[in-house]
Amino acid sequence: MILIPCPWCGPRNVSEFRYADEAKVRPDPNATTPERWRTYLYMRDNPAGWTTEKWFHRAGCRRYFTLERDTVSNAVRAAEASREV
Amino acid sequence: MRSATVQTRMPMRLGPQPGEVIDRHRPFTFTWNGERYPAFAGDTIISALAASGERVFSRSFKYHRPRGLLTASFLDPGCVVQVNDEPNVRGSHRRVEPGMIVSAQNAWPSLRFDAKSVNRFLGRFLPPGFYYKTFIKPQRLWPAYEKVLQRFAAGGRTFPDSPHGYYDKRYAHPDIVVAGGGPAGMAAAVAAAEAGARVILVEEEYELGGHLRWGSEDELGALRELRDEVARTPGIEVLTNSVVNGRYDGNWVAILQRNLPHVEERLIKARAKVLVVAPGLIERPYVFRGNDLPGVILSTAARRLINLFAVKPGERAVVLTANADGDAAVADLERAGVEVARVEDARRGGDIIGARGRNGVRMVECGDGSRVECDLLVTATGWTAPTSLLNMAGDRPVYNPTAARFFPSRPSDDVLATGGISGDGSLDELLAHARATGQEAARRALKVGSALRAGVPRRVDVEEPPDMPPIEIPELPVVEHPELFQGRTDGIVDFSEDISSKDIVAAAKEGYDSVELMKRYTTATMGPTQGKLETVNAVAILARATGKTIEETGTTVWRPPYAPITLGALAGRNFEPVRYSPMQPWHERHGANPMVAGAWIRPEHYGDPESEARNVRENVGLIDVTPLGKLDLRGPDVPKLLNLLYVNQWNTLEVGKVRYGVMCAEDGVVLDDGVTGRLGPEHYLMTTTTSGAATVWEWIESWLQTEHPDWQVHVTPVTDAYASINIAGPKSRELLLRVAGDVDLSPEAFPYMNVRTGTVAGVEGCFMWRIGFTGELSYEVHVPAAYGLYVWEKLMDRGADLGVKPFGIQAQRILRLEKGHLIVGQDTDGLTGAYSAGLSWAIKLYKEDFIGKPELSWQSECDNSFQLVGLQPHDGSVVPPEASQIVEGENEIAGRITSSCMSPTLGRSICLGFVAPHLAEPGTSVTVLLPNGERTTARVMEYLAHFDPKGERQRG
Amino acid sequence: MSIFTNRDGSRDGHHKPAGYSAFDLFRRGLLGTQWPRAWRSHDLKPSYDVVIVGGGVHGLATAYYLAANHGITDVAVLEKGYIGGGASGRNTAIIRSNYLTPEGTRFYDRSVKLYETLAADLNFNVMFSQRGHLTLAHSDSALRTSRWRAEVNKLQGVDSEVIGPEEIKKLVPYLDTSEHARYPILGALYHPPGGIIRHDAVVWGYARGADAHGAHIHQNTEVLGIEVANGRVRGVRTNRGDVAAPVVVNCTAGWSSLISEMAGVKLPITTFPLQAAVTEPVRPFLEAVIVSGTLHVYVSQTDRGELVFGASVDPFPSYSMRGSLEFTEGLAGHVLELMPSLAKLRVLRQWAGLCDMTPDFAPIMGITPVEGFYVDVGWGTYGFKAGPVSGETMAQLIATGKTPPLIAAFDLARFAEGRLVGEKGAASVGH
Repeated sequence: MILIPCPWCGPRNVSEFRYADEAKVRPDPNATTPERWRTYLYMRDNPAGWTTEKWFHRAGCRRYFTLERDTVSNAVRAAEASREV
Repeated sequence: MRSATVQTRMPMRLGPQPGEVIDRHRPFTFTWNGERYPAFAGDTIISALAASGERVFSRSFKYHRPRGLLTASFLDPGCVVQVNDEPNVRGSHRRVEPGMIVSAQNAWPSLRFDAKSVNRFLGRFLPPGFYYKTFIKPQRLWPAYEKVLQRFAAGGRTFPDSPHGYYDKRYAHPDIVVAGGGPAGMAAAVAAAEAGARVILVEEEYELGGHLRWGSEDELGALRELRDEVARTPGIEVLTNSVVNGRYDGNWVAILQRNLPHVEERLIKARAKVLVVAPGLIERPYVFRGNDLPGVILSTAARRLINLFAVKPGERAVVLTANADGDAAVADLERAGVEVARVEDARRGGDIIGARGRNGVRMVECGDGSRVECDLLVTATGWTAPTSLLNMAGDRPVYNPTAARFFPSRPSDDVLATGGISGDGSLDELLAHARATGQEAARRALKVGSALRAGVPRRVDVEEPPDMPPIEIPELPVVEHPELFQGRTDGIVDFSEDISSKDIVAAAKEGYDSVELMKRYTTATMGPTQGKLETVNAVAILARATGKTIEETGTTVWRPPYAPITLGALAGRNFEPVRYSPMQPWHERHGANPMVAGAWIRPEHYGDPESEARNVRENVGLIDVTPLGKLDLRGPDVPKLLNLLYVNQWNTLEVGKVRYGVMCAEDGVVLDDGVTGRLGPEHYLMTTTTSGAATVWEWIESWLQTEHPDWQVHVTPVTDAYASINIAGPKSRELLLRVAGDVDLSPEAFPYMNVRTGTVAGVEGCFMWRIGFTGELSYEVHVPAAYGLYVWEKLMDRGADLGVKPFGIQAQRILRLEKGHLIVGQDTDGLTGAYSAGLSWAIKLYKEDFIGKPELSWQSECDNSFQLVGLQPHDGSVVPPEASQIVEGENEIAGRITSSCMSPTLGRSICLGFVAPHLAEPGTSVTVLLPNGERTTARVMEYLAHFDPKGERQRG
Repeated sequence: MSIFTNRDGSRDGHHKPAGYSAFDLFRRGLLGTQWPRAWRSHDLKPSYDVVIVGGGVHGLATAYYLAANHGITDVAVLEKGYIGGGASGRNTAIIRSNYLTPEGTRFYDRSVKLYETLAADLNFNVMFSQRGHLTLAHSDSALRTSRWRAEVNKLQGVDSEVIGPEEIKKLVPYLDTSEHARYPILGALYHPPGGIIRHDAVVWGYARGADAHGAHIHQNTEVLGIEVANGRVRGVRTNRGDVAAPVVVNCTAGWSSLISEMAGVKLPITTFPLQAAVTEPVRPFLEAVIVSGTLHVYVSQTDRGELVFGASVDPFPSYSMRGSLEFTEGLAGHVLELMPSLAKLRVLRQWAGLCDMTPDFAPIMGITPVEGFYVDVGWGTYGFKAGPVSGETMAQLIATGKTPPLIAAFDLARFAEGRLVGEKGAASVGH
């Protein structure tokens, strides 16, 4: 049970959170191509190592924030609130 | 079962021993294989049986050879028994209780005569993996062969009617968990607690002390002192008959606690800041011919039997010793009156070639070829370090040939090891190491605590204790030990799986020559002891067979749990929450048939769904729709949010109006639907599907927080805050008029698709909206939850003369299907786009942005997916079951029925379904394949609605 | 046009392995002679016609069918650890073909058919036990999905039907089929040909078969890079040296994103751990394989008497195979919801494997933008079931240069073109 450092609540059990995908930028819906849009929808970096992702503190403050996590060791660092990104 | 005879004497019981754990003042009897046996409180099942002279406790897995006692500990592979309805009880660990009914497993028809023991003569024809090489042809006979193989499955019995029992869980937040309550674990716990840490000290056996318990006078003295220290040092919680079962990411430590009254087992989940691993060492069996005969035991087993249970392990013994513990066993045996016929000292070239006997050792062939008659062979050939917990923390143990065992290499910062697992040395040296380890653990725990606190946002800085310099932990010496794994003959390596050294060599020669392949092919180390006794021997034998070193060969990865844990303890109290609406008591009183809908339990019907539906068409009905998701939205930017979430247009919604909306995901797939009403200038109420309530809330928060943090919208879930009642039917206005206080219900003042706030049955702050899921004139009333039951009863009471009746989900489904309203998740699936679901009328591609807009705009140009249409079978008496396939030609799937029922209003069957685009034209006849194999035809209708397609009734 | 059409399909490496049969077992037992190696080890050659990355069931089956069906034997299977050490050796060995979509059903049905004759084809008993497979439905929507699957299955000729609680109770007396269960069992999708298999045996059988045909199996050989020039694959770099090859096939699970990235091919894949656990053995009491979607659990009992459990993938992606306590806790709770009398049964071991999840829960098979670089990846939780048919179709694709119709729906291009496979429907209508 890893601890997720919520920027608002402090470190909490990961079971309180929901993983909400790799952090990615939504293309402008009015100026996109099918290829670019579907890359956004479907393609993933899926690295073995450090990655930046979005988490939701479902059973806590119910805030979304971004988090860096090592997908091999599950070590985490540098949580920050989404709106500050 | 034979008639119950009673064993009265315990011929192998010794006089009182200084460290014994039995209470001679509390004798009782228990049952073993149908016969009664005596025991003392404190005995294990096996120690009691051994005291009565029993030596065979099970039959081996493959060859059904007789098996006796080997380790006299939890791991004892031949001492697994059935206790009442509990299978696979560790008989050398479990304390026997008065009246306990114990029987042998894996023996048929009886332990003394086992019919399957013929297998041992067939051993040469049953090499490892023999089943892969035979039963291949003819294929059709394999199921019969398989039944024979299954009959050899080992293990106890389960029963379909066993009671569940009581299991429990607990969370703990200690600074330090110490795994192992031997001298090192006790000393580490005391040192850590003295340094201010809160410690949980966990011991697998019933008492603290480890090997000191079966030791010399001096060792017993040291034990008393250590126990006193533990008892008087504040901050140590001692858990005995408990085991640290796993170390997971984040030092999440699972502790299995067994010794509680009234609780079968308890799982403690501890967030340890530091884990100290001090499990001691496990004595390793020696591999030679006949090494699995009853009477061949480990030196620790002999010492435990004599010193803890006052049981004489045999009459005449041969001892193979390679270390001080073996020497001590010789002394103990002699003291216990066992004739030690021969001591083979491996340090001086002594060895054992083999043991012989039928149901137990009769004779041993020694290294020099001489033969000694005896009934006991004790071996002390070395140790296995139980590095499981360190493995789980990412450590890969390293083999040290000097000590002939594996050592920890580099555990993570929050895991420390001490005691025998870390090195040898005198008791004083071990205790010094353990004390230093305990102090260092306390220092690290303090640091971890500071780091955790630093992660909590706070207004005032908390002063943290300063960092202290690391405690220096002295190196433990490593004492030379001969590398003894297999002697000159072949023997059993894995006692649970009946795997011999020959089997391992054969597997290696066939190409299964890495440790993992060997393990999988032979199944060595995969049995109930999970390799704790056999891994090192297996690795050593494999290494020799492949010409590699033990270090190059490596070990398998030890996985959790450390000790087997019941499903009951893992499950705990099985907490599965249930949600009810406030009207549930009324439903129950009126014969509602319960239906599970996710977490909710809802009335499916009250006996006759079709008449419930008819009553809605003719009079008025009430349905409890409380589980409908409800979100309260406030703020100036709500219209922006609604425009983003829904595919349709929301800028123009006036106060007092409601609108149906469809949400799609970014891939254009229908996600949810519902109506949203504008209650005030900056106040909206959104409804979602029952199953979508939680998802939609998180979905909205995601868009607000990450894409549009500048929008001023506040979202509050109010699903539980309001009880929701739908009043539907031509007489619904009349009924509501009787209870509504301050709201003008006239059609002009309160038309279709409007919302009003007011008083209902005297309850203030209710929302009413006119919508038409059922297709009738209807009002959905949202009442503060605490008044839900009251208002419902009031409506029932006041509407009696109007013919008001409740209706359930099933009637609602009939009514909505007559009206052609789709249900997201039933009439759509995980790939249904909004166009495909017949929602093109709602999609406003001119809006600047909404979720899924790009995909939907491409779909609007070219969509060749199936279309949702209304369908009516030509034969109105046939109701094609939902999921019936629409086919073309022989077997080409061209659609499916998503919803169907017999319409009580129309007196015929009606459906919704998907059809291929070329079949979607109204009037087309399609073929429906029914699940019973028959085919019928149905007509594609002009509208989704089968009844009142223009919606005149609901607008009335 | 295939690059192999000009070749003679050299069979230099071909050798006949020692036969496996009861008679041979008896003979060798009597004489005490050692069995020969099931597969040989070789030096890594500087070039091969085909390099297959990943020594699991998919890679080994591809190598086997390349040789057995197409005469292509100059093949290397590169495995970074030991064969079958990844997902092939970590799955719960359930075989079935009762999928939701016609393309899924047809594809997996071919796999079941191949599994049915695999023991004889490979002369290696893979212990395929077709003991029946029950997908329990605890809600009317789950029951509807079951019927949907049954109807699609029957149209593809697959034995699959919806049965009620009484019949279920007869098949599995330990199940709590009472109405008072927290999630009452309303019915089940019954699939008689489904069952369990000895997963390691499948791996070893294919390895032995591929070896007999001359393919080289290289264990402890890790691919470190893939050489691509002018849009064509040229070979691979390994920890044991470089290998030139005009065809490189990515048959990995767990690491498929990383291997494809070496060739510059990005995949719509996220890697999640999938955990499993096994109990101590008890006397056989459970014949059928039981799956409950609502309770996220599947259970079967092996011939050895152990209960094998699996669940859904972990809640967040990871390459860690350390496993979690939450998994076993949730699993046990759900198993006891189904079979409350098993509370005293003990879990012996838990483990994890890696699953490459795709957006539509369907695999990615076939060509990529890099010529000569093929993928057979994205298997999610279904990879082992598809081992034989994947090998067969990938071999056909490589040998003929034409995509077999059976896998046409699973191409990589479908994501950019927005034509996802409907298997996701089954997962999302279950709610």
